[in-house]
Amino acid sequence: MTRADPRLRLAVLGGKATAWASRSLGMGGGTTLPGDVARAIDPRILRKLGASPRLGIILVTGTNGKTTTSALLRQIAAAAGWRTGGNQSGSNLIYGLTAATVAQADLRGRMELDWLVLEVDELSAALAAGELRPGILVVLNAFRDQLDRSFEVDQVAARLGEAVAALPEGAVAVLNSDDPRIAALEGGPNASHFGIEDRELDRGGLPESADRPVCPRCGGSLRFDAVYYGQCGDYHCPACGWSRPSPAVRVTRLLTAGLDHMELNLAGPGGGAGPLPVPLAGAHNAANVAAAAAAALAMGASWEQIRRGLEEFRPAFGRSQVVPWRQSQVRLLLAKNPAGMEASLETVLGAGSGPVLGLALNDGIADGTDISWIWDVEFERLASGGPRWVVLSGRRAAELELRLRYAGLDGSRLLLRPGAEEALDELAARAAPGLPAPALLTYTAMLAWHRAVVGTGGAQPFWTEGG
Amino acid sequence: MTGSRSLRLGVLYPREMNLYGDRGNVLALVRRAALRGVELEVTTLGLDGGDPEEIQSCSGFLIGGGQDLDQLALAHDLVTRKGPALREQVSSGAPLLAVCAGYQLLGDHYRTAAGDLIPGLGILPMRTEAGRRRLVGNILVAASPGLGLANPLLVGFENHSGRTILDPGLPPLGRVVRGGGNDGDSGAEGAVLGPVIGTYLHGPLLPKNPALADWWLFTAADRTGTTIERSQLDDTAEEAARREAIRITLSGSRSRGYRLLGRRPRIRRTG
Repeated sequence: MTRADPRLRLAVLGGKATAWASRSLGMGGGTTLPGDVARAIDPRILRKLGASPRLGIILVTGTNGKTTTSALLRQIAAAAGWRTGGNQSGSNLIYGLTAATVAQADLRGRMELDWLVLEVDELSAALAAGELRPGILVVLNAFRDQLDRSFEVDQVAARLGEAVAALPEGAVAVLNSDDPRIAALEGGPNASHFGIEDRELDRGGLPESADRPVCPRCGGSLRFDAVYYGQCGDYHCPACGWSRPSPAVRVTRLLTAGLDHMELNLAGPGGGAGPLPVPLAGAHNAANVAAAAAAALAMGASWEQIRRGLEEFRPAFGRSQVVPWRQSQVRLLLAKNPAGMEASLETVLGAGSGPVLGLALNDGIADGTDISWIWDVEFERLASGGPRWVVLSGRRAAELELRLRYAGLDGSRLLLRPGAEEALDELAARAAPGLPAPALLTYTAMLAWHRAVVGTGGAQPFWTEGG
Repeated sequence: MTGSRSLRLGVLYPREMNLYGDRGNVLALVRRAALRGVELEVTTLGLDGGDPEEIQSCSGFLIGGGQDLDQLALAHDLVTRKGPALREQVSSGAPLLAVCAGYQLLGDHYRTAAGDLIPGLGILPMRTEAGRRRLVGNILVAASPGLGLANPLLVGFENHSGRTILDPGLPPLGRVVRGGGNDGDSGAEGAVLGPVIGTYLHGPLLPKNPALADWWLFTAADRTGTTIERSQLDDTAEEAARREAIRITLSGSRSRGYRLLGRRPRIRRTG
């Protein structure tokens, strides 16, 4: 960055003015348009802001867990006393990253931050890594997600590999040992792996929805000795001997208690921490915690700071968030793809969460317009147990009903309520007293339900959360 | 076998070729068979199985979509190990329904973007070439009346970069009402040859197109002399999901109409 860069200043001003105008006009959070404007004025704006002296940049990417892991990292950084910013709104394409970065720059184009923690879309990660030149890149996983946009999982993994390759020299790639496609990425000598090493969490085989990865070295079939979530677990290739790289940061024990709470032990360089109470649930979230801890160690945080950050952490938008509705409560869980839906379903059923469950499926661009993935989710497990009623909602509620009927659920258990408010009404009416009714929703369905709740004064608009 | 009340479905490569919820096709066949008084036994014919005897014991077949890498690994097994028995079965009237990559593998070959030739089974006289742009979106197809489907309007989702070119004389499954189809241009979608249907429609295909599921079951029953209930089933839930999908497809902006006006259909680019 030059001393006085009029174009950069104009771009920052333009971006900030757009954000202000967009909010004042009630157009929403202004989470991407300011980025459009700023990049139109100065296409090199991210390179320039990213090069601010003393600013460390962390990118978090992968199909599932980006928002949670970024939020965990920001909380740990705050616990360490570092000035931290990011894209809390979850706007994670290049324009959203630009908007979030501009929002945190001053009018002279300077970033008065120690760390900028940005979650970034899998397909935008290479571009973002090239422009922002991050010190740390966290790669969580590659699942089947919104297939009409991301295409095939192997291609997504290849794009994540490009992001790792785009890292500047000396940067740290934090990689998931448990996901074979991520473990196989060439992280170089600075790579730091994280993973789960608690065999109690083995679900005993790959779920139907998992994308069977082949051995990245020889193309042979991988053998799984344990599966924790999706295609993530402990594996090796019987043909060529390639096996899961040993993680530096490990979840050695996980105790899940309920839908929004777990205790885990972490081990890693310099010791570890535990038992750590974290307000999250499920093996996939334990992996997110390990990822955040591995990145935090690379930032220079101590185990004590990691422990404090995790304790003070509160879940991000729609990640197991309880909202009030008509004298009752509903727990909203984001489930945007088979791996996420499977994980949330497992968590909900494991917690024994009452007589009614909500499912909402939209097919907007942000959800993925191809909803065929719901046929891969093992809803069959709802046939023999689980909640007595299932409320089906969203633009594709009828498709959900068909799926659940084919999963063996009797029609009398299925309540078709396409609209957000009527679905919330039904859940509230049937929820057990004092036990929030859980609902699993795709992204825009989550927004719609959130809008309904905000309309009744029950929650803050999402873009103000954490910001 | 006359009078028997069971059929056997052979699912080819269910692990590798199940990218787009194709498992729903199996569920639909099992469910409708049961409602029609027939027990449908499901046999998987994977990379590590599917001997000729196993293939010969099946009444009909399904093959789904997969990733490019999988397709390469499978093509060899399909053509050399399973090919002869499959061809024999199909020529004696066993239904074979192939979706997306499975459909492509039934042709003469698939030419990848890199120029490599993946040989196909050659059951359908056609070939597929990698296209520059991907055809992605909801799709609506008017199935050929020759199939005699109770409801010939097929609805699904397509996502493919391959362009399939049918040899002259090979009829398509139907005409595209909305969407891309075989090549995004000709208006043809899928292919039919006797008891073989290939299509780009997933979604999955059969739950929302029960008429096509019945086509498979009746074809399999005819061939094996199995008694099957042929009256109309209560398809209220299927119809509701169909209506929902058709409404959303028709409200999309991609339409054949644009092509008649000389404009290219709006198709999202590959990443």
